Amino acid sequence: MSRRRIRNILLKEWTLLFTDLNSALVITLVPFLIVGQGILYIWLAFTFGGESMLTTQVFETALQKLVQVIPGVAQLPGNEQLLVLLVSQFNLFLLLIPTMIAISVATFSIVDEKLSGSLEALLATPVRTWELLLGKALAGAIPALVMTWISAAIFLLAVSGLGWGDLIRFVVGAGWFLTLFLLTPGVAMLSFMLGVAGSSRAKDPRGAQNTALFIILPVLALIGIQITGIVWFTPALILVLALAVGIADFITLRVAIRLFGRESIVVQWR
Amino acid sequence: MAIIETFGLSRNFGKATAVEDVTLTVEPGEVLGFLGPNGAGKTTTIRMLAGMIAPTRGYGIVAGRRTDRDPEQLHEIVGVLTQMPGLYDRLSARRNLEYFASFYPSIESRSQVEKYLKLMGLWERRDSKVGTFSKGMKQRLALARALVHEPKVLFLDEPTAGLDPEAAGGVRQLIRTLRGEGRTIFLSTHNLSEAEILCNRIAVLRTRLLALDTPEQLRRRFFRRQIVIQLEALDARVTDVVKKLPFVQEMREEGNQLILELTDSERNRPELVKAIVETGGRVIGVSEKQYPLEDVYLRLVREENQNES
Repeated sequence: MSRRRIRNILLKEWTLLFTDLNSALVITLVPFLIVGQGILYIWLAFTFGGESMLTTQVFETALQKLVQVIPGVAQLPGNEQLLVLLVSQFNLFLLLIPTMIAISVATFSIVDEKLSGSLEALLATPVRTWELLLGKALAGAIPALVMTWISAAIFLLAVSGLGWGDLIRFVVGAGWFLTLFLLTPGVAMLSFMLGVAGSSRAKDPRGAQNTALFIILPVLALIGIQITGIVWFTPALILVLALAVGIADFITLRVAIRLFGRESIVVQWR
Repeated sequence: MAIIETFGLSRNFGKATAVEDVTLTVEPGEVLGFLGPNGAGKTTTIRMLAGMIAPTRGYGIVAGRRTDRDPEQLHEIVGVLTQMPGLYDRLSARRNLEYFASFYPSIESRSQVEKYLKLMGLWERRDSKVGTFSKGMKQRLALARALVHEPKVLFLDEPTAGLDPEAAGGVRQLIRTLRGEGRTIFLSTHNLSEAEILCNRIAVLRTRLLALDTPEQLRRRFFRRQIVIQLEALDARVTDVVKKLPFVQEMREEGNQLILELTDSERNRPELVKAIVETGGRVIGVSEKQYPLEDVYLRLVREENQNES
């Protein structure tokens, strides 16, 4: 029964999501904007900044860390070293996609139901809180993951299209796959749960979406930390990071379930 | 055996008491009207009985199940019409019902959805998006949603609030139909005439339960039975004779009407009419004075105000 219920919640969520222009645009357009923006930055840096950028202290430190992880990069000409350095940031940059989609779906799905009164009607049915939450979480997480993976593929195709294809072998490795297949789902779930938590008190979707800052800023911080050479996210570090996100997922899931209790919704959600 | 029983049901929100010590029973097939001013605790009581919130003290039993334990199982046997219709505007009427019906394991949702869309007069519009529906249609669809799993008890929270008279009449007619089918209905309403038409008994709540009885008995509690004699014309001879009758306890005139309190309003009536006719009075009609339920309700609330002050 639970599977049937979760599937029905999922399908209903998707029907509502893709018949709402704003939500449909967030899911389908935002990933491409993020990818496009990333490629543009790399192209601009490569074209106008060039090799000279590597002489700045920030990039120099970052490059040293990169060479420690991938020694083969040291054999490349300077401008290609810069390219590998920039393109290597992209797996972390892609984390913005599940963050934005999951938070958008969570807030849209919960605040909308809260405002229309359908959530209270739903809580008068035998559906269990975890079924409802899981159905909604999957409704947000699945498109978020799919769009992230599609974006990653498009990014790699674009990099090849720009004539830098032979550099991909330095970028796409264990760290890249761990980010896409372990860290991204964790970040998507964390974003969704934070969206639920934010929605519990928000009066409209915009208010709830402010919680996005709590996760977007740390993601941006990760990119900043790596590109300035403070820390280079090796596969081992990404694994640790994914573990930390997993723990955060567990904690926020518990908070979200407590906030999403029938009693809280009926009595406290206003 | 009662289908709804409450024992000292109470609910606090922080320091505020929303419902205090409500003890009542509802029999199977009964329609209980739940009246009370805004903030009286009607919705809170419904939410407690429907297993949506837990009581602070006391407990309720609905169809043999404690309402504060395993709410999901309770939800399989109760239907709730919440104050807001709470439908998905971008889904069709049928899709809305199918979605909610899918949460009940014991029903064949497709045929149930068809049955209730037809009963609510929405079958022709089954594939229209709910966002295009009028308020009355949405309320009927919400009622269908509350019924789709054939609940043993139906909780209706102000089902006609905010509807125009025609739409409200349509919803009332549906409730009458459900009553005719022998369903147990717990009906919260502000509309006193609606309560009188639809309900077997009426409970008046103002945090505490102020009264619980049939409309007739509630009237008797505050107003004595009065007989209205409608005459073609009222003259002094008639009033003199009537006044002197031994069983007439009180009499007053209102236009061409005599309003009387009799010792035994059933038995004394023929003698009364005979006396008037013999005096030359021409009787057009004899009836019992009906005090509107509103008067009863206002007295109850006023009494409670006085007690509080």
